[in-house]
Amino acid sequence: MGSLADRQAALVATLVAGAPLPPGFDDRLVGVARSALLRKRAGEVARHWPMLAATLQDRWLPVFADWAAVRPTRGGLRDGWDLARQLAAAGDLPTAAAEELAVREAGWRYDGTTAPRRRRWPALRHAGRTWVLQVAGRVWTLPLHRR
Amino acid sequence: MTGNPGPTYGVGIGWRPEIAGFVADLPGLRFTEVIAESLPGGGPLPPALAALRARGVAVVPHGVRLSLGGAEPVDPARVRHFAEVAELLGAPLASEHIAFVRAGGLEAGHLLPLPRTREAVDAMVANVRRVQAELAVPLALEPIAAIFDWPDDELDEAGFITEILDRTGALLLLDVANVYANARNRGTDPVALLDRLPLERIGYVHVAGGRAHDGIYHDTHTDPVPDAVLDLVTELCARHRPPALLLERDGDYPPAAALRGELDAIAEASGYPTIT
Repeated sequence: MGSLADRQAALVATLVAGAPLPPGFDDRLVGVARSALLRKRAGEVARHWPMLAATLQDRWLPVFADWAAVRPTRGGLRDGWDLARQLAAAGDLPTAAAEELAVREAGWRYDGTTAPRRRRWPALRHAGRTWVLQVAGRVWTLPLHRR
Repeated sequence: MTGNPGPTYGVGIGWRPEIAGFVADLPGLRFTEVIAESLPGGGPLPPALAALRARGVAVVPHGVRLSLGGAEPVDPARVRHFAEVAELLGAPLASEHIAFVRAGGLEAGHLLPLPRTREAVDAMVANVRRVQAELAVPLALEPIAAIFDWPDDELDEAGFITEILDRTGALLLLDVANVYANARNRGTDPVALLDRLPLERIGYVHVAGGRAHDGIYHDTHTDPVPDAVLDLVTELCARHRPPALLLERDGDYPPAAALRGELDAIAEASGYPTIT
């Protein structure tokens, strides 16, 4: 049995990073706690990324839980950003959520490893046929309809 | 400070931005609480909170991220912020939890239970003293609702809580919903725990709602307060009526009439005047 610090670290790793259950704990109850933490975390991400959660509908909780089970949180904003990018890359991001992501990408610079920062220069991003233009912090969305 | 938690405030409700209008409209309100980490240490206060202060409503900062039960020393920047917020609010006391929220560089995202061991008592006591050294007002400590326990407890819950309070001189923030949740999930008697806690050390009381899920009662703060929790308020007040009882609601806000009904039910269960 290790120090309190080691044992607390092992427990948190079990709850948020998919590490194995430390000896002696109730597997079922720790699992219930892990699910409750994931639901709470999903709620925090949904507050930052309402379209991501809304457009995935019934899939939102399972998709988020699957993604988050082995990824400790970096805050609701970045968690949702990372997940939205992954879904976009896989072609699995619904249109309204893709536009939400494009608005963020146009307004902020986010390298995926450090905290997002506001862009100082204009930026243009698109999601499907919707274009997002950011100038001086203001954002316009431009639906371009092709004939 | 044992036995002297200060003036009597009656029934209150936790201040949250989403229900600021509802809280402002409570004519009898004298006590509220704000999440310490939600305020800027250097101010200014949100106008709605400043208006409550101007009305003479006591506002208590409630910390949720200090991780006082963590094995490592509490982050000095977090302690400073906590103390600044207490001063900014002119708070009569401040509160935090008997819990940890991070370890090994990872954030748990919620309050986690401590093993009820001597080593954990020592860690908790050391961190509480670090906070008390910065804080100009009394600190109240809240035992949490735990979904699971550690495998190697050396103390029972009442012994663990009492030892931490005795060694720090801290007040008790007793959450009756947590008492109910733990007793229900462990199959123990919540009233028996009340009988073993130092009730005269209560700074104030939390009341909250929850729901059963996965066969476990969860202290959600997003569901109605069950009658069993109100019964526990009555049991508590029959033994020792605390100076204040505060409803915690953290989301899925119901219509104002339903929230007023919950505040009235707490008033009735405690014998304090209604504030609605």
